[in-house]
This record gives sequence, C-alpha cells and structure tokens, in this order.
Amino acid sequence: MTKTANNAAAGWFSPQNRKETVAGLLFIAPALIGFAVFVAGPMVATVVFSLMKYDLFSSPSFVGLANFEAMLDDRRLWKVLGNTAFFAVFAVAGNVGLGVVLAVLLNRNMSKTVQYAYRAAFFFPSLVGLIFVAVIWQFLFQRDIGVINYYLGLVGIEPVRWLSSARNALWSVIILDIWKNVGFAMLIATAGLQSISKDYYDAARVDGSSSLRTFWQITVPLLSPTILFLLTMNTIGAFKVFESIIVLTNGGPGDASRSLVMYIYEQGFKSFDMGYASAISLLLLTITVIVTAIQFALSKRWAFYE
Amino acid sequence: MHISWDMTPVRLSARLSPETRAMISRLRTALIYAVLGLGALVMVAPFLWMFTTSFRPVAEAFTLPPRWLPGLNSSLESYRRLLASDVPIGRFFWNSTVLATTVTLGYVATTTIAGYAFARLRFPFKNALFALLLVSLMVPIQTTLVPLFLLMRWLGLVDSQWSIILPGLTGAFAPGMSGVFGIFLMRQFFLTLPKELFEAARVDNAGHFRTFWSIAVPLAGPHIAALSVIIFTMTWNDYFMPLIFLNSVDQMVLPVGIMSIRDPVGNSSATSEVIAAVSLSILPVLLVFVVAQRWIIDSFVRAGVKG
Repeated sequence: MTKTANNAAAGWFSPQNRKETVAGLLFIAPALIGFAVFVAGPMVATVVFSLMKYDLFSSPSFVGLANFEAMLDDRRLWKVLGNTAFFAVFAVAGNVGLGVVLAVLLNRNMSKTVQYAYRAAFFFPSLVGLIFVAVIWQFLFQRDIGVINYYLGLVGIEPVRWLSSARNALWSVIILDIWKNVGFAMLIATAGLQSISKDYYDAARVDGSSSLRTFWQITVPLLSPTILFLLTMNTIGAFKVFESIIVLTNGGPGDASRSLVMYIYEQGFKSFDMGYASAISLLLLTITVIVTAIQFALSKRWAFYE
Repeated sequence: MHISWDMTPVRLSARLSPETRAMISRLRTALIYAVLGLGALVMVAPFLWMFTTSFRPVAEAFTLPPRWLPGLNSSLESYRRLLASDVPIGRFFWNSTVLATTVTLGYVATTTIAGYAFARLRFPFKNALFALLLVSLMVPIQTTLVPLFLLMRWLGLVDSQWSIILPGLTGAFAPGMSGVFGIFLMRQFFLTLPKELFEAARVDNAGHFRTFWSIAVPLAGPHIAALSVIIFTMTWNDYFMPLIFLNSVDQMVLPVGIMSIRDPVGNSSATSEVIAAVSLSILPVLLVFVVAQRWIIDSFVRAGVKG
C-alpha cells in the first residue's frame, strides 16, 4: 500500500473523523446490503442462469451459449419483440407528444381553479393501478356491450373488434396506455415549461410570431432536455409493458399482442425454462442500456440547454 | 400549393382591425377550452362509468345506452353480492394495506437516512458507492426475476408478504421503483440545506443520528410525505411482484385477487362484482388524491427533471 493511501485510510478512522465515517457507513449499510442481495446479486445470477438449462425441479446444467442460439431461431421471440417495439413507438410518441401539447395549452393564463381541475383530470389515471383501469377498459372495449362501440355506432361506425382482431389488439393496448400515462408526461413537461424564461415569449410576441411558430421555434428547442428525458423514461417503461396486455387480450389473438415481458414470464414461470427466461431478460436489459446510452449521447448533442 | 404556416397568420392578422383580432383571440381561447374539456371528459369518463355501473342493479348493469350518473334506482346489490361471495375481498384489502404500509415505511426510512449520509457525511468511497447504486436505475425488475424468485424460494419466503416487504425494507427497490430513486431524491434535498444548521449541532456535540433525526428529518417533512405517497400508491397498484411471489388466496393482494375472480366478459353477475371490487380498490387512491390533489400536482411539477 502506498503512503498516501495509508494516510487517507488513517484519516478516515482518525479520532476526529472516526465517528463520521462509522455513522456514514452505518447509515448507508441497509441500502447497500439490500442492493447487493436483491439487485446486484440477482443481476450476476441472471447472467449465470442464461448459460444454464434449469427447470426448477432437477439441478441446473451448464449449456454454454445454447440459450442465446435458441433465441436466434425463436420466431415467437422476434414476433414478441416486434410487438413490443411497435407498442413502444406509438405509445411513447402519443404520450410525449400529447403530454407536451397539453402542458403548453394548460400553461396559459387561466383561472387557477380551472387549471388545477384540468391537470387533476388528466393526471389522476397515472396514479391508479394498471390492472384496475385495464379491467374497466376491457368492458369499455367490448364489441357488443362496450360503451366505445355504442358511441361509435351513434355516428354510424360499425362495431369494432377492439380486442379480438389481430389488427386492432395492440392498438387497443396503446390507446389504454396513452390514456393512462399522458397526464404524467404533461406534469413533467409543465415543470420543464416553467423553467423557460418569459423573456423569450415576450420577444416572440413583439416580433408578431404566431403561436404555432412560437411553439416550434421557442418552446420545443428550449424544452428539448425535458422531451428527451420523457422519451427515454417512456421508452424504457414501454418495453416493460405487461399488465394491460394480460387483462385486455392475454397476448392474443395468437401472439398478436404478446409482449417481451409476458414472454419472459411465460418461459420462466409457465414452461419453467429458467435459463431461457434469463437469456431473454438480458435482451431486455440490453435494450434498456442502449436507450439510456442514446439518451446520454444525444443530450450532449441536440438537447438545447440554456 | 405550399402554405407556409409560419408566415400566413402574421400577415393576415396584421390587416385586421383590433376588434376583429380580439374576437379571433377570444374564439381561439374558447376553442382550446372546449378541446381541453373534451379531453378531460375522456380521462374521467371510465371512472364515472365504473362507479355508476357498480351502483346499478345487477340485471341492468351493462345495458346500453350507458348511464353516467347514479339514478334513483341506485343499488348496493353488486357490493352486497361481492361481500357475500366466496371471494375474500376484505382479506385482499387487508393484505394490500399491510403490504403497502410496511414497504412504504421501510423504503422511506432506509432511503432517507442513506440519502442524508450521501449528502452530508464524509466516509470512504462515498462517490463510488453512490455511482454503483445509480446502476440499479437501469435494471428493470423483470431482468432479475428468475434469480430473485429462486432466492426467495431458498429463503422460504415464496407466498409470504416478506418476499415483497424485504426488498422494500432494505431500500433495494419498491414495486416499480428502484431503491436509488428515494436515495437520490432525499440526497438532492439534503444538499440544499445550509451547512450552518449542522455546524450548530456539532458545536452542541450532538451525535450524527441525533442531528439527522432532530434537524434533517423535520425539515424534510414534505419531501418524505411526497415520497411516501408515491411508494404507497405504487405498491398498492403493483401486480407483477405479487403475481410471482404471492399465490395462495390467503396472501393475495387486490390486483392479483381481482384477476383471480375475473370472468371472461359476459353479462353474468360475476362481472358486476368485479366492477364493485375495482371501485373499492381505487377508492383509497382516489381519497388521497382528492385530499392532497394540489399538493401532489405541485410537488410533481416542482420536482421536475432538473431536481
């Protein structure tokens, strides 16, 4: 050990610093132990299990990269991954796009009470459990007794098979997701809007800029860090879509709306192929890491910081 | 023809009289209010439909056209049938309450004290350890599911509330929320407190825990409350972890319980019991929201991204 390291170590535990060092380590100990046991350990174990064949009942055996090779040939996996990506693109675009527009529309001068009422209405669904609202929407989406088709019928639209047709199933999940989560994006975007200086808008008004032009040339660029943050968080969230699909379509018809996490769950806890489930889990982790890395790279490049 | 949207409105409005311009502006405001109102209605309508349906006589619960307000023939039939059925809805409710409360208390306590240490105390490897914890922000719970299940099975905790309480208690994660989220939030807050506050405590020779408990915690009250509301709601709402870990009817929480009694939709009476059960499940969240609405929205708006 070098002399400086020795000194530093002595410093941490010297009589005047010892108490603080011990307190600090004690204060973070529960969180650190929890992290090691329930996050880091399982993380490493996932990598190990992905190299094994294990069905919970007989002892695990090492199979090398066989699980990953199986992934390449697994058509259902690619179908499921495609569904999840499709869902992510449209749900994220809808949530972030509508969320930002709502935030801008609600950020104008209006009666505070009205403003709160609107924000509350849009935000409330984000607080309610997905299982609970999905059960409600499953009734609303029914072909014959559903409220949505009833109102569509009033304007002359034939009953839509929201949940039972392969073409519509995933769209129904997307609609539910936007309804549920748009309010959250709206609130985060509102926070971002309030950090933009009013001077920009005053200058735009003096220039006689139209409100649409102000939106594209001032609001969007200045809000870009917030938008980027929302895009990242929503994309990572979208790749975990599970509950709403379980309730609405149960992945069907066929595999038309099955998602990646549903597939992981089914492989692990229905087919008891823990090794394969772990391998697909690593795919999910890889996607999450890539999205985060893109966020970091882009935030340096195009996000506009004041 | 190409219409340039960024030019036309300016030129057009410049030619109009001030009165006309004021009228157009008023019309536009009215239009925005109307669109927003329609949107807000779409957000609220499913809940309204659920509550009124739960109070309709079972036989006419799903008849169309839908009724949006409870009428004179409101009925508690759905609730009565739900309570009289084999479904232990009271048990689910109790399990959810115990689980969400315990996880919240444990998670908030652990992450608050860790956040305080990372913000205010000096100890070796502080920054490296914090960076290590930040990694968990990127790890979806689904990724570690298999080992987590095997770990809980080895500990003999499968089908026990402890399988979900334990990670929350240690601040590792709460349902849907990485542990470092709470640590990060509280650390950010404690960093904003002036040093002088803590120097005074040092002069008085107060221990580090005492300083934390009697100076830092009271000041952090609103932040602790906001974090608690978030964690409680997320635990109350979570389906994924209870689905994996809690299987017997005795241990089930509301989301899993509701899925277990749900019939494929038909006009059967079981479905209006499901609607009643969902209404009951949403009630606590609704009550908290009605009471603390402004405060929740404000804390979200202020928390923002920049923190």
